[in-house]
Amino acid sequence: MTAADVPATDAAANRRRARLIDRAPFLVACVMLVVLLAVYAALREGVFTLDELNVDTAAALTLILAATGQTIVLLRGGIDLSIGGMISLGTVLAATRFGDTLAGSAIWTVLILLIGFGVGAINGLLISVLRLQPFLVTLATWSILSGAALLILPIDGGSLPGAWMSAGNATLLGLSTSVWLLVILFVFWLWFRETRLGLTIRATGSNEKSAFLSGVSLTRINVATYGLSGLFAALAALYLTTQTGTGSPTIGKDYILPSVAAAVIGGISLFGGRGGLAGTIVGAFILTIIGNLVFVLSVSSYWQPVVSGVILLVAVLASSLAERSARRSLT
Amino acid sequence: MDLLQASAVSKRYGGIAALSGAEFHAAAGEVHALLGENGAGKSTFIQILAGAVRPDEGMINFDGAPFRAANPSAAQAAGISAVFQELSLIPDLTVEQNIWFRHEWRSPLRMIRRKALREKTLELFARYAFPAIAPDQEVRRLTLADRQVVEIAKALARDPKVLILDEATSSLAPRETEWLLGLATRFAGEGRLVIYISHRLQEVRQVAKRVTVFRNGQTVAAHDTASVSDDEIITEMLGRRMERLYPERRDTATAKLALKVRGLSAGSRLRDVDFDLREGEVLGVGGLQGHGQRELFQALFGIGKSRGSIELWGREMTARGPRQALTGRDGIALVPEDRRGQGLLLSKSVRENLTLAVIPRFSSGGILSARREKALVAEMMTFLRIKAKTPDQVAGTLSGGNQQKVVFGKMLLTEARVLLLFDPTRGVDVGTKGEIFTLMRDLAAKGYAILFYSSDQPELVHVADRVAVMQNGRMAAILEGAGISEDGILRAAMIEKH
Amino acid sequence: MTLFLARHRAILLAYLGMIVLLALTSFFSPGFLAGSHLRTLTVLAAFIGIVALGQTFVIIGGGIDLSLPWVLNCAAILMTLIAKGQDGPLLWVIPLLLVAGAFIGAINGIGIAVFGVPPIIMTLAVNVILQGGILVYTGGTPPATAPQLVQFLAVGRIGPIPVVAVIWLILAVAASFLLSKTAFGRQLYAVGTSAAVAEFSGVPIVRTSVLAYTLSGFTAALAGMLLTGYSAQAYLGMGDPYLFTSIAAVAIGGASILGGSGHYIGTIAGAFVLTILTGLLPALNLSNGALLIVYGVVILVTVSLASEAFSDLAAALRAVLRGGRATAGKEPS
Repeated sequence: MTAADVPATDAAANRRRARLIDRAPFLVACVMLVVLLAVYAALREGVFTLDELNVDTAAALTLILAATGQTIVLLRGGIDLSIGGMISLGTVLAATRFGDTLAGSAIWTVLILLIGFGVGAINGLLISVLRLQPFLVTLATWSILSGAALLILPIDGGSLPGAWMSAGNATLLGLSTSVWLLVILFVFWLWFRETRLGLTIRATGSNEKSAFLSGVSLTRINVATYGLSGLFAALAALYLTTQTGTGSPTIGKDYILPSVAAAVIGGISLFGGRGGLAGTIVGAFILTIIGNLVFVLSVSSYWQPVVSGVILLVAVLASSLAERSARRSLT
Repeated sequence: MDLLQASAVSKRYGGIAALSGAEFHAAAGEVHALLGENGAGKSTFIQILAGAVRPDEGMINFDGAPFRAANPSAAQAAGISAVFQELSLIPDLTVEQNIWFRHEWRSPLRMIRRKALREKTLELFARYAFPAIAPDQEVRRLTLADRQVVEIAKALARDPKVLILDEATSSLAPRETEWLLGLATRFAGEGRLVIYISHRLQEVRQVAKRVTVFRNGQTVAAHDTASVSDDEIITEMLGRRMERLYPERRDTATAKLALKVRGLSAGSRLRDVDFDLREGEVLGVGGLQGHGQRELFQALFGIGKSRGSIELWGREMTARGPRQALTGRDGIALVPEDRRGQGLLLSKSVRENLTLAVIPRFSSGGILSARREKALVAEMMTFLRIKAKTPDQVAGTLSGGNQQKVVFGKMLLTEARVLLLFDPTRGVDVGTKGEIFTLMRDLAAKGYAILFYSSDQPELVHVADRVAVMQNGRMAAILEGAGISEDGILRAAMIEKH
Repeated sequence: MTLFLARHRAILLAYLGMIVLLALTSFFSPGFLAGSHLRTLTVLAAFIGIVALGQTFVIIGGGIDLSLPWVLNCAAILMTLIAKGQDGPLLWVIPLLLVAGAFIGAINGIGIAVFGVPPIIMTLAVNVILQGGILVYTGGTPPATAPQLVQFLAVGRIGPIPVVAVIWLILAVAASFLLSKTAFGRQLYAVGTSAAVAEFSGVPIVRTSVLAYTLSGFTAALAGMLLTGYSAQAYLGMGDPYLFTSIAAVAIGGASILGGSGHYIGTIAGAFVLTILTGLLPALNLSNGALLIVYGVVILVTVSLASEAFSDLAAALRAVLRGGRATAGKEPS
């Protein structure tokens, strides 16, 4: 046995080193966020205040929610493009169906969440029962959901109840609704990743065949994974309406690829099985702060995609280099 | 009363009968060997027992009641656990997460209790005297042998009444093999049943009291192991008398050096290796699994980074990489370890697979010539007697032995005369094994130089002219002539040298 | 013949779908099959077909190219900016931009094949960088109009045949030849099926992948300039719809998004299917929203029909109809 040939302390040190390399992409993302914040703070007063935290979190939260669903799907080894359609549909439904009564808002909130989960579950079913590629299935359902949103509301419009808007922008103990929601989201994640479902999703993404042989029902896991993704897309849509105050049948497409980018910048592997929500949140904040920087530097806002693209490449190069050095140190 | 009785079990895939009326009876408290060539129906049979496949016909009685499992978990719940050749471990989960996967202990909040996983894992390891493996190690960091051990732990963790070991020792070193055989004996001694499948008759003799032989989907014999000879068993498996598994050894080596390797190192697993390989020689590579053999073969073929000098037919190889290695008559060809992952495009035709490495041989100016390709394919299919309906048959539908022949054919078409064969008989039936050994000796006689690694030591002893034994990434010894024996290889592999 | 049918079932299905749609459309809007309509149809399909050509190669090689929209858009905008409506400069501007498109594609390929960046991420990043870059450069104002020559290439005719259709035909023949008859094509299928097996067989993986992405950048740039001719101007966002349609055309045409299978011949049918649908719905008085829904459904249906699961199901059904026993499940391996 090789383990016996190597002194035990060496083995432990090797293991620690390997773990560090595994976390390299996430650490690189954290460093990038710190650097961006430092630059931001150098250019502008009051960056490290609660107000700034509240504002930035509000700006980032829709993306974070969308990217949470995407993270779960990426851990499963899939991808979900349909969240774009679901976000559009969600805002459109909220803006046209909430009406003025509390009851109407409450019922439709639940309905929108159910639709999100249901649409995701259908994605999962199509992927498993017909053995189709997630990329294609969700590309198709994205189109279908966007179409549905356009049928309901051909152009941006509708309105949200005042109470809904103020609930989305309230503060409690100096922290805005968005910060509280982020805290709740993270607590949820800390719980979720330790549940059997969380572990099974990650395991299935790591090796689908092994998971199947170990008794995992791929259909059920896919329904749960994509269902959760749809649910988070619906949550993102609902939160988004508190910020925009309208419904938009086309707004969702702005979140599809950034949701993947946020996750990847944060160190989630596109090959499934590795990474966590902390990385995704860091990734989403990086993308948000870039927007702020472009604003304070008062350069053309068109620089924002350029910088985001470069950061995305740097992050993914860092993780692919880490991956390679991990492989080299092992073989 | 037998614990497990299967009668008249049949299973068809499309038009092909995998099992037709197989019988199997085994009692509690015994280790029962199941033997047969590849394609004899063993795999299908145990997949039925393990719940991965449903039979078309037949009766299975288990523990006094009719048995029918819809899926692997149902079979496990009923008390049958299988350790398959294809492992069912999750690379990104730790050893302990894998062992208890889907059977974790949970807190009232439905969270997995990590402490319980650790305790139960150590308990299980202690109970069956497992080799030392860190429970918190991710499985993807383990050697193949360690993964096999974890897979066995996972099967035992379900506390089964029947444990099926399918070629479980194929990646294990001798020490671990001994441990597993001991475990099987002890497990059976607890009043349970072990179904033991192996190509290695020696092991079967050591551990199994009874043996059942399958051929062409049917049961051809069942007897006490002690009452039959190896020859009789092989005859039963093949249906004809096997002339000889190993060909006559002829000394065809010349003085000419085909490969001269000095100071070859790669990563931490291959350190400062020196050896010579002569024209017409078969040089075996042995040693415990995971001691640098794979890295040696990959470095010679140019996969990954390596340092040191490699001289091919007297000329230094400077640029490395499979493309630099596969350069016609003066090149190197590799039959890789993982046939399905590295050797074959399973969804492509036999033709496309055979000619993949030699596209320049039938193209001019980048344009393919179908006629010339056809000729190359026909020649190689005849030469290796590849059994395919047409050259356009999809490679993944061939039997294991024929798939391996396609990989050989692909490498032979390159005309490279230095061949690296990494465990070329793994998962190959006895008949094809014999063909492969004969082919190796014939090629050596034609002036090819062959480097041959096998996880099965008798193969090295009977086929190689010399055997280089590796230990901790170095050449520990090179055995010649009378010095080549299983005992000698083991001794060279185990003696500590620094 | 049965072997041919079995192997190219997905492609045949795409053509079957195209014929059914044509029949349907001519039923709902009589005169649809008239020469002039077919000509328009072909021209519109040609743009999708040309963008999807590169995408087909990339997908067969196991990748995906999300940078197409802004490669296309950059080529279009730069051409109008540099040529300033004059035909003269086009003699060097068109070749220059084709090379530039190919160069961007090569960068994609190098990032993916040499540095191991996942294709989705690499091409996505290049897409947003190009988008931002061209916006910064132009300041977001629409550039000048298209020179006459590209307008001729896009909408002109040689006799009854549109010029762009001729260009497409030449490209289609070249693409089919590359895929079926050349070493590059054979190696591309191998890389798409299994990069590891290809590497162990000495296939030049980096060169093959880079070539595929290079081709994709080239065809995107070409399509961008032709489209500029068609709409008589370049505008921001003109490439965006082609991301979806290029992938959809390849998928409807029977290629597996996992790589290693498919053919440009199938993509051609895919381009026609998408174009006919765009024409069919207005005839039925359906809105843009409905079109998106139909697109999605068509992709799902065609991809399902070509899927393994569906053929298993069909085989089981046939067996039942014949009175035999239905045996689901895969061959033993």
